Amino acid sequence: MIDLPTIWFLILGLELALYVILDGADLGLGFLSLLPQSEKARSILIQTVGPIWDANETWLVIAGGTLFGAFPLAYGIILNALYIPVMILLFGLIIRATAFEFRAMGEKKRFWETMFGVGSLLAIVGQGFAVGGVLNGIQVVDGHFSGGSFDWFSALSIFITAGVLMSYVVVGYAYLIKRRHFEYTHESFSRIFIAATVTFGAFASATILLPQEHPFVLERWITEPTRTILIGLSILIGLVSFLLIYCVIKKTLHRHLHSICMTIFVLAAAATAYAVYPYLIPPALTVYDTSSSAVTLRFMLWGIGPLLPIVLAYNFYMYHVFRAGRNDEHLEDY
Amino acid sequence: MDPLTISRFQFGDTAAFHILWPLLSIGLSLFMFFMEWAWLRTGDVRYYRQVRFWSKIFILTFGIGTASGIPLEFEFGTNWAAFSNAAGDFFGNILGFESTVAFALEAAFLGIFVFGWKRVSPRVHLFSNAMIAVGATLSAFWIMVANSWMQAPVGVVVENGKIIVTDYMVAIFNSSSFISFLHMEIACVETTLFFILGLCAWALLRTRTTDEYKRFFLQAFKFALTITLVVTPLQIGLGDLSGYLIAEKQPEKVAAMELHWDTNPAGTGAPWSIIAWPDSAGGRNAFDIAIPDALSLLTTHSFSGEVPGLNDYAPSDRPTTLGATITFYSFRIMVAIGFALFGLMLLGVWYHYKGRLDEAVSDHRFFWKLWIFAMPLGFIATEAGWMVREIGRQPWVVYHLLRTSDGLSSGLSTPVVLTTTVLFTLLYIAFGVLFVYFTYRIMKNGPDFVELPPSRVPGI
Repeated sequence: MIDLPTIWFLILGLELALYVILDGADLGLGFLSLLPQSEKARSILIQTVGPIWDANETWLVIAGGTLFGAFPLAYGIILNALYIPVMILLFGLIIRATAFEFRAMGEKKRFWETMFGVGSLLAIVGQGFAVGGVLNGIQVVDGHFSGGSFDWFSALSIFITAGVLMSYVVVGYAYLIKRRHFEYTHESFSRIFIAATVTFGAFASATILLPQEHPFVLERWITEPTRTILIGLSILIGLVSFLLIYCVIKKTLHRHLHSICMTIFVLAAAATAYAVYPYLIPPALTVYDTSSSAVTLRFMLWGIGPLLPIVLAYNFYMYHVFRAGRNDEHLEDY
Repeated sequence: MDPLTISRFQFGDTAAFHILWPLLSIGLSLFMFFMEWAWLRTGDVRYYRQVRFWSKIFILTFGIGTASGIPLEFEFGTNWAAFSNAAGDFFGNILGFESTVAFALEAAFLGIFVFGWKRVSPRVHLFSNAMIAVGATLSAFWIMVANSWMQAPVGVVVENGKIIVTDYMVAIFNSSSFISFLHMEIACVETTLFFILGLCAWALLRTRTTDEYKRFFLQAFKFALTITLVVTPLQIGLGDLSGYLIAEKQPEKVAAMELHWDTNPAGTGAPWSIIAWPDSAGGRNAFDIAIPDALSLLTTHSFSGEVPGLNDYAPSDRPTTLGATITFYSFRIMVAIGFALFGLMLLGVWYHYKGRLDEAVSDHRFFWKLWIFAMPLGFIATEAGWMVREIGRQPWVVYHLLRTSDGLSSGLSTPVVLTTTVLFTLLYIAFGVLFVYFTYRIMKNGPDFVELPPSRVPGI
C-alpha cells in the first residue's frame, strides 16, 4: 500500500508537470514576442496566449497550495532559500498578467507587448533558477534554512534555466502550430531546431552535473533496480527528442509536435521525480520529514483529490471552446 | 530596519493593496450575474449592454486582483517560513483548498466569460458568469476561514512546536469564521455598489453626452441603489455582531481598539472614547472625550459589564501603544463610514421616492456630487477594518499560540527584503494609477450601443 506522503508527492509532481506543460507554452510565446517580427505575427502570438494563460497559471497556484498544505516544512524552507528566484518569478507573473489586460484596453499596445514579453521572460528565469536551486541542494539545520541568499546560483541552475527557457520556446511554437497559426511560423522551423538542440544540450549537462552534486543520485545511476529504470527513461526521452527533431527538420507531423513535446515533458518529470524520491529537498529532507499530519493529508486527499479531475475537465472544456479555427476573429472581443 | 519589521510592512503593504481588487471583482461578478440573468429572462438588450459594459471594469480588476494575490500565497513561504512550518498543517491546507476549489474555478471560467460571448450559448455564458461569482465567493470564504483561525485557533494541539489539527470541523467553523466571512462578503458588495453608484453619478453629471448614455447610467444607478437598501443596514448589524464576538474571544484587541487602559471597577461602566490620544509613556490616555458606560453597553450589552483594560496584560502580550492608536482610529473610521453610507442610501431612496432621480441632473448637482465623494469610502472602511483585525491581533500571528516574531524566515537579508518591498510598492502604485486612468477611459467612452447581442438568445 502506497503511503500518504508518497501520494501527495505524486500529486504535487503531476500538478507541477501540468503547469510546465500548459503555461510553458504561454511563457515561451511571451518570450518569443520579444524577438523582432511583424506586428501581425506578434499580435497572433499574444492572442493565442490570451484566453488560456490565466487558467494555466492556476496550476502553479494549486501546486503552491499543495506544497504548503501537504509539506509545510518544505514549503517554508524551499521558498525561504529561493527568495530571490521566487520573487523574480512573482514579479514576472504580475507584470505578464497586468500587461495583458492593459494591452487590451490601452492604446500603447507596443509598450504593453514588450512588458508582456519581459514579464514572461522574468517568470521563466525565476522558474529555472528555482528548479535549479532545489536540485542544487538546500542547506538545512534543525528544520530551518541555513544557507545564503545566493545559494541557488550555480552552474547546474544556469544549465537548467537555459533548458527551461529553450524548452518553453519549443513547446510554445508547437502550440502555435497546433492552433494553425502555422503560416507565421513556417520560416521559423530553424528556430525550433536551435531551441530544441540547446534544450537537449542544457538538460544533458544538468543530468551529468546532478550526480556530482548529490552522491545518492549517482548511486541510483549505478545500482539496480534504479539503474535500469533511469537509463530506460533516458533512452526513451532521447528517442522522442530525436523524433521531435526529425519532424522539425522534415517539417512534417505539424499537428502532433505539441503532443510530442508534452510527452517529453512528462517523461522528464517522471525521471526527475524518480531520481530524487523520497527526497523533497535533496539531500536534507524527505517527503516523510516534511509532511503534514496524517489527519491533514487524509482530509486534503478527500477534499482536494476528487476536485483535481474536475479542474482538469474544465481546463479541457476551455481548450475545446478555444480550439483551432473557431471564430479566431473574436479573440480580441472584450 | 530589521527583516522582521520590513517583512511585516511588506505583507501588510501587499495584502492591503490586494484586498482592493477582490472587493470589486466579487461585487461586480454578482452585479453582472443579475444583469445577465435579467437579460436572458426578458430579452431586453439594455441588460445585455449593462453586462458588457461593467465586464470591462471587471476584467481590469480581476487581472490586477489575480496578479497581486499570487505573491501573498508565496510570501508565507519566502518571508514567514517558520509560520508556514508551524501552522501549515491547518493554514496551508486551507490555502490549498482556496487555490484548488475557488481560484481555479474563477480562472477557468473567466476565459469563457471574456472571450466566449460568440463561442458558447447564452446559457453556458450565464453559467460561466455564475461560476466566476461562486468561485470568487468561495475564495473569500476559505481565506476568511484561514484568517479567522489565526484569530481564534481551535481544534488543534501544539506538538513539538507544530500546530497539529485534531478536529477539522471545529477548526474550520471556529467562532470567528462565519461572521467574518459574511462581514467581508457584504463589504465586497457594498463597496462595489457605492463604486458603481459613484461612477454613474459622475457619468450623469457630465455635460454633452447623449440621452442614451444618461439613460444607461441612470438604469445602473437605480439598480445598484435598490440593493444598497438591504446591504447598508445589514453590514452595520454584522459589524456589531463581530464586535461583540471579538470582545468575548480577543479582549486585548478590544482594549486596544478602544484605547481602554484600566478595567472598570465592578458596578461601574466602562466609558467609550470618541477621540483619545495615549500618553507618550503609555499606560493611560493623555486626553480623551468619552461617553460614560457606553463601552460596557457596546461590548457586553449591559451598563456595568466588565471590560478588561490594556494594563491587565503584560506589554509583550498586547498590541503596542502605536498599534493600539492605529486600531482605535481605524475602528472609528470604519464605523463612521458604515453609518455615512447608510445615511446616503436613505437620501438616495428619498430622492427616488420623490421622483427627483428622473429630473434634470443640473437641478440636483450637490446630491449627485455626494455619490462621487462616497466612491472611495467602502474601500477605506474595508482597509480600516482589516487594520483593526490584523494589528489588533499582534503580537500574535496565531492567537496565543505563535508570536509574529517567531514566524519569520531565517537568514533574510535586509537589502533583499527591502528591495522587493520597494518594487512591490512601486508596481502597485503604478497599477493603481493605471486602473484609475483606464476606468476613466471606459467611463468616458461609455457602452457600445451599436453592437448586437449574440443572436441565439430567446426573446430576440
